[in-house]
Amino acid sequence: MPAEEIKTGDVSLTLCKRCHDEEATLQIRSESVCKKCFCQYVTTKAIKRMETYRVRGSTVKAQRKLLLPLSFGPSSSSLLHILDQHIEGQYARMNRSGYELFVVHIDVFLDPADRKDASELLEKYKGRFSRHTYSSVGLEEALLLDNIDWKALGIQGIPDNESGLPATERLQKLLGSMSSATSRADIASTLLTRLLVDVAKRNHCESILFGESTTRLAEKTLTETAKGRGFSLPWQVSDGASPYGIGFNYPLRDLLKKEIVTFTSLTTPPLTELVIFQEKPSNISASSKTTTIDDLMAQYFESVEENYPSIVANVVRTSSKLQPLIGNDTTNCGLCGLPVTEGTDGIYGWGGDQNSDSRPAKEDGQHGVLCYGCSRSING
Amino acid sequence: MAPALCAICKDARALIIRPKNHQKLCKACFIAIFEAEIHHTITTTSLFSPGDRIAIGASGGKDSTVLASVLKTLNERYNYGLDLVLLSIDEGIKGYRDDSLETVKRNAVQYDMPLKIVGYDELYGWTMDQVVEAIGKKSNCTYCGVFRRQALDRGAKMLGIKHVVTGHNADDVAETILMNLLRGDLPRLARSTSIVTGDESSEVRRSKPLKYAYEKEIVLYAHHKKLDYFTTECLYSPEAFRGSARSLIKNLERVRPSAILDVVRSGEDMAKLVPEEVTGISQCKSQKVSLSSADGEDEAAGGCGSTSGRNSGGEMADMEKRLKEDEEASAREIDVSAVAATAPNGQPHDRIAKVEPKKPAKQEAGRKLTRQTLGTCKKCGYMSSQDVCKACVLLEGLNKGRPKMEIEVSAEDEESSTLRREMEGLALAAG
Repeated sequence: MPAEEIKTGDVSLTLCKRCHDEEATLQIRSESVCKKCFCQYVTTKAIKRMETYRVRGSTVKAQRKLLLPLSFGPSSSSLLHILDQHIEGQYARMNRSGYELFVVHIDVFLDPADRKDASELLEKYKGRFSRHTYSSVGLEEALLLDNIDWKALGIQGIPDNESGLPATERLQKLLGSMSSATSRADIASTLLTRLLVDVAKRNHCESILFGESTTRLAEKTLTETAKGRGFSLPWQVSDGASPYGIGFNYPLRDLLKKEIVTFTSLTTPPLTELVIFQEKPSNISASSKTTTIDDLMAQYFESVEENYPSIVANVVRTSSKLQPLIGNDTTNCGLCGLPVTEGTDGIYGWGGDQNSDSRPAKEDGQHGVLCYGCSRSING
Repeated sequence: MAPALCAICKDARALIIRPKNHQKLCKACFIAIFEAEIHHTITTTSLFSPGDRIAIGASGGKDSTVLASVLKTLNERYNYGLDLVLLSIDEGIKGYRDDSLETVKRNAVQYDMPLKIVGYDELYGWTMDQVVEAIGKKSNCTYCGVFRRQALDRGAKMLGIKHVVTGHNADDVAETILMNLLRGDLPRLARSTSIVTGDESSEVRRSKPLKYAYEKEIVLYAHHKKLDYFTTECLYSPEAFRGSARSLIKNLERVRPSAILDVVRSGEDMAKLVPEEVTGISQCKSQKVSLSSADGEDEAAGGCGSTSGRNSGGEMADMEKRLKEDEEASAREIDVSAVAATAPNGQPHDRIAKVEPKKPAKQEAGRKLTRQTLGTCKKCGYMSSQDVCKACVLLEGLNKGRPKMEIEVSAEDEESSTLRREMEGLALAAG
């Protein structure tokens, strides 16, 4: 398609395909657009996903409370920025808003120095987006959740509550006992989800708004598949009710990661000073002991996104069509809490398990139910 | 450092690190457990009945050679009561298949099994070398895959056999699962993990007894049993999505050895989550997407395709283009509301929602669908879900001296969307 051009002296400018007004400096897929239209695009895509939370009618109802987990990454920071403006717009027009945000940061680093940095950064967010409620919780608090019965799971070498050890140390020991970097990352993210659900419920939030982009959801589709968690995909990539009795929403699900990263530098003022950018996945070695399946998939989709963005989106569209099994013969996994078909026994006793000699001996005694994915991470 | 003892017999020296779980084993225990696991797969899935005549799809490569050897061993050890026959397809690839067929001929003697060889040239009038000469190296795996699957069935029928076993291993199955996710092909995702395809009504069932066996363990088994197999890979390269999925699987295995098995497990679980009404469509408006397992692009043809994945990535680029066109078409609708949203007329945002709410993808699945029925090909009489089977369509294209896709595009009904044609093209390209 030939781009519209105007001549200003010797310099030829490409005009924005949308407003035909400003100079096009950015790309939305294959369209050249200006800064303003780019931001409009990103914002509209996210807000469209928030239609359920618009202001309805004239009767004043109790405001709906939504949990926004803030990792300080580009996606959750952008989501906070966009929704902050959305709420501000609602106030400006009707003097009330359809929802309020409860922002929570989960500290996944256990080092006190990291925690101090995180709390300072959170203060900056509070300063900039001041209308919302903020909270910060350490990941170790997941160990105290009363809906995970650690004893029944029979994980060895984990000092229990009565050991007197601080929770951070116990979490470190738990993760340290896992057989691979992937298992550690897997259990950490499982605990993170459980903790978020708990924080949401304790604070009367009806849904959790995850900042995950299309690219991230595609990564997640393949990562969860590769970790034996394919059964859980209907709740991990689709908007709607989760088995935890709380809604999961992904308002940035129609945006690519690179579009969100660009967006962080275009807001006024830019979000860049608040955002913690991860190291580019392409710099991660595929052979290191610390490399995880998550790393590999991030690396893979970084390159697919570059050349084939529509394929990325198509992966998410596809996995979003998977439907949860309907039926009563399920029981919840003792760790991740997701429903598993009764009679299944984690990594044991299915066609691919095959032979009791091929795996480490299972401990005696009664075990809680584990799904395949949790069982793989814990039992190796 | 004292030599490590075998983790199973605790007696002999461990010489093998098991790829599946990094367990250290002695040679005898490795061979025993490898066979025991395949026996377990066969018995728990009730794959065979006493008296069955089974054709082993034999290429001379490691997978099918190991399959033949293990089946012979297990058949004798556990009295399966099977009558085993080797069935080979001669695709007509010089420097590859002619040599590997010599291996199969030796295997027939070594395992004391009858051997039947069916050639593409006799069935279709074309060898693969001639096909490649006609169409170039792009998408030749499609032709080969479609032809091979049918050729195996026809060979089985010539022998009066109703069950063909193939050497597809866990790596192949995992690769197919990832590939179908990448291509967005739910119907195939739902089908590709089952150990048996085709039911009682099918003329020829096929199954993969090595479905849970790691490729690396198959190589180790072949090595330690000193099996006579052919190692050269096919000279033609795999399709881009498969190549991409293949290298992903290899990397996953490196990071976490259980990953291959875990992908297979996920695939089995996800197959149950594919909505029934979707199993006949792939995210486009079409109601006529090929479904029949007779069409033959569901799985890697065991032993074909190189791991190096050297190809142009053309199939991915094609699909990207197609998807993009579709997105742009639907984006034009969205633009209406997007403009409304930005209109500085003080209209509440909330009203724009009524303009044209975009239909969520999920509802598309709820569209009324026509079920596919398995019939027979008008031309060759072979089972097919279409009027004319895929092999005949491809052949017609070859015989007219032009690529097959052109024919299909021109012959399609009006309602078919661009995307649909493209999707079919992709499906074909799966090899």
